[in-house]
Amino acid sequence: MAGVDRVERLTNLLALLLETSRPLTLVEIAGELAGQYTGKESTRRAAFERDKAALREIGVPIDTTVLTGGQAGVSGYWIDRDRYELTDLHLEPDEMRALQVAVAAVRPTQGRQALWKLGLDTIEGDAAGDVAVTATVPELPGLPALRDASARRHTVTFPYRAKHRRVDPYGLLLRAGFWYVVGHDHEHGEVRTYRVDRIEGDVTVDEAATFDRPPGIDVRAAFPSDPKELGGSDAAAVAVVRVDPMRAAGVERELGPDRVVARGGDGAIDVAVPCANVPAFRSWVLGLLDHAVVLGPADVRAAVVDWLTSMVTA
Amino acid sequence: MTTGRRTAEERLSRLLVMLPWLMEQGEVPLADVARRYGMSEADVARDLELAAMCGLPPFVDEMIDVFIDEGTVFVGIPRLFTRPLRLTAPEGFALVAAGRAAMQLPGADPGGPLGRGLDKLAAALGDDAVVVDLPIAPGVAATIEELRAAITTAARLRVEYWTPSRDEVSARTITPRRVFNDRGEWYVVADDARSGERRTFRVDRIESLEPTGEHGQLEPVPAAVAERDWFADAGLRRVTLRLQPPARWVVERYPVDDVVERRGGVVDATFPVASERWLERLLVRLGPDVEVRAPREWRTLGADVARRVLARYAGSGSGE
Repeated sequence: MAGVDRVERLTNLLALLLETSRPLTLVEIAGELAGQYTGKESTRRAAFERDKAALREIGVPIDTTVLTGGQAGVSGYWIDRDRYELTDLHLEPDEMRALQVAVAAVRPTQGRQALWKLGLDTIEGDAAGDVAVTATVPELPGLPALRDASARRHTVTFPYRAKHRRVDPYGLLLRAGFWYVVGHDHEHGEVRTYRVDRIEGDVTVDEAATFDRPPGIDVRAAFPSDPKELGGSDAAAVAVVRVDPMRAAGVERELGPDRVVARGGDGAIDVAVPCANVPAFRSWVLGLLDHAVVLGPADVRAAVVDWLTSMVTA
Repeated sequence: MTTGRRTAEERLSRLLVMLPWLMEQGEVPLADVARRYGMSEADVARDLELAAMCGLPPFVDEMIDVFIDEGTVFVGIPRLFTRPLRLTAPEGFALVAAGRAAMQLPGADPGGPLGRGLDKLAAALGDDAVVVDLPIAPGVAATIEELRAAITTAARLRVEYWTPSRDEVSARTITPRRVFNDRGEWYVVADDARSGERRTFRVDRIESLEPTGEHGQLEPVPAAVAERDWFADAGLRRVTLRLQPPARWVVERYPVDDVVERRGGVVDATFPVASERWLERLLVRLGPDVEVRAPREWRTLGADVARRVLARYAGSGSGE
């Protein structure tokens, strides 16, 4: 070791590449940072490459170009200050406070570092009622790259179910604990939805390929939030279910009072429930065990009876 | 507090957020810097003194004008690192996802400060269509509103709560402490008077709720513990199920101890059983796509439940 702390050498390299008005070669860098990149050419190169990787790792955008003229074929390096520096967001104090509360409520791993860059600190959980109502947001390795590619309109590739997918990511959706990426699949030529936790490797952003997001794309509508409405020929189909007094209050809260079509004197209710997707409907109604019975239509009722009968006779 | 060895990347990355802030402040007690950035005072001092030595000709030693005197950090005329480094993709994602999720929480105001702050963030990071969908069932929103109000005053509430493991509704007195959404479900962490313990309840299983007029002590907001963590109990009984392809989703939905792949997409999976009621509900929903392999006494459980439910369908077509 040359006696220079690595953090000092990294800081000097960063300063040099930020200050330079033209791309610098490794020979010039070693000359400016006297005594910091020493030894044989290959040793110097290895140390420099390691430092360059370290700076990129923490997010420093280092540009590389192959020089022409007197130093033709040699690589030159510099940092574009406009790309290096955080854009001033011009946040008002109440907006800063709101972002702090949001980060405190969701607690993303990188949230604190992100707030520091905005000149803010995290607020603690006991800062009263502000963070008493919160949500968990799962974190997955592919998400930052997918968001970044979606914002910059770049195509991505990723392995999924043992195949390589090429997708224009229109957006990301978190629903019922799962992240989905919704986008145009190049191979299939249509909009598809992929579960991000099922991506079987790295998400690669194709810097050379861009796309336009069609107007009117609504990620939320990529698939219905209620599986009972999914598929089937008649999306508006409903079944009427009688629910016992013991579960009536819970079911009414889940579906809303608009879905109650009749009330019994004993506290039982009849509710109209979407049933376009018969398996999803059946799953829902059987989750109530013997506290609910399908009154109609006859074919839906028969489907549930057949299902139960097959279990008894199996 | 940072412990153990810190890598050069971590130290530099921290310096690059610390320096612009210090330049804006001018002077700050060392202890405040350490607290803000989760470091020991010794580590802060070491890294700042090192930064002060950095420099390029002709500004060697002058590039970063910082010194520490009697426990206070002083920063002089800034020459470099006056602005923080741009947000990395993970940092940008963290802010956007946290912000969008917070916008979905009950009581959020789209035109309020968070909405405006997120618009400014989107202008800087690009319009990305990150959507967080936290649906609130019609009747649950009002319950959450009442729970939130109760938390701010540590109000004790009388609730009727449906317990799925016993399939019965019981009356309880609870002091709500925190409400959270996990995997699309809403939960409340509350002190339960009956057991004297802090418990997690599903909001949609609260059948009714009314204030008792009493109040407990105000306390810091506790951690969120979702229902699925309860399955982690090693003392719970286990069931091994043979799942046909249409039933495979169960492996992703519930905590699983062990999964053995078989031919044709069939799997044998072993699950902790939170309650026999949970297993009954699962078996009747999976129907012919599931078979209990072990233990022996649960092999006929699915058929028993189906028979019980079928009894409701016996007789007339109206189910009466």
